[in-house]
Amino acid sequence: MAIKTKRILVPLDGSKNSLRGLDMAIHLARQSQGTITALAVKTVPGIYAIHPLGFLDFNSMKEVKKLLADAKLRAAKKGIDLTGKAIAGDPGYDIARFANNSKNRIDLVVIGARGRSSAKEIFLGSVSNYVLHKSKKPVLVVK
Amino acid sequence: MTENNFKRILVPVDGSICSEKALKRACELVEVFDSKIIVIYVVEKSAPLNLLDRNEYLGMLRKFGKKTLDKTNTLLSKKGITAKLLLKEGNIVNEIEKVVKKEKCDLIVVGNKGLGSITRFLLGSVSNKISQSSSCSVLIVK
Repeated sequence: MAIKTKRILVPLDGSKNSLRGLDMAIHLARQSQGTITALAVKTVPGIYAIHPLGFLDFNSMKEVKKLLADAKLRAAKKGIDLTGKAIAGDPGYDIARFANNSKNRIDLVVIGARGRSSAKEIFLGSVSNYVLHKSKKPVLVVK
Repeated sequence: MTENNFKRILVPVDGSICSEKALKRACELVEVFDSKIIVIYVVEKSAPLNLLDRNEYLGMLRKFGKKTLDKTNTLLSKKGITAKLLLKEGNIVNEIEKVVKKEKCDLIVVGNKGLGSITRFLLGSVSNKISQSSSCSVLIVK
């Protein structure tokens, strides 16, 4: 196969659009026989992110874990290997940092844009816009 | 989400290195997904131009556009891909939007920087506008 996108990063937030992004990533991964890294970022106010007790919020981490488990199931149905990763912090910043980190060897970021259905959501979400600007890897915005 | 969802791929080119990169990436996608490729060059008309030089300048741009399209055509035919080439005039983003609607494209592949963004060190203005306003998915090649 010609596509070199072996490792695809999919940031998830549980919204419908991010799931569409996941579907698209699965579709691409099937073509390139690649793997997907799903990244779920739990929003933590800056002050807690540096404080060790900020990570002790087990309850909401459970929610993120569930999200990743769902994603894993979805990918497994199509025969794609998906590794989940949960991070606490600022979504845009952490996604961009994860994508740029050469250790993770990400080839493509697939991110869901907000829908255009209502007038309020005509523009891209702030997180996808941030990732779009800051990531050094190709970004696919799924609409 | 249906199975083959990249039936038509639109690649706006402007002759820059980044747009070439985008084109190469689009070629890969075309080979894998067996999709149609549409290459577009837009002659920017909305820029404030001197009244006297206007026609001459536009003529130069048109010539450059044709040259760029010819170059991409030879590049694509080497890989055995037949592309649909379009030369449009007007506002870049508006024209791209129009083509997307008319041809029912599923994906736009753009480079992150073009010729018009030496000062913009991150995302070019055109690719930014496309990613914000387009109704279909956008792949930004870096």
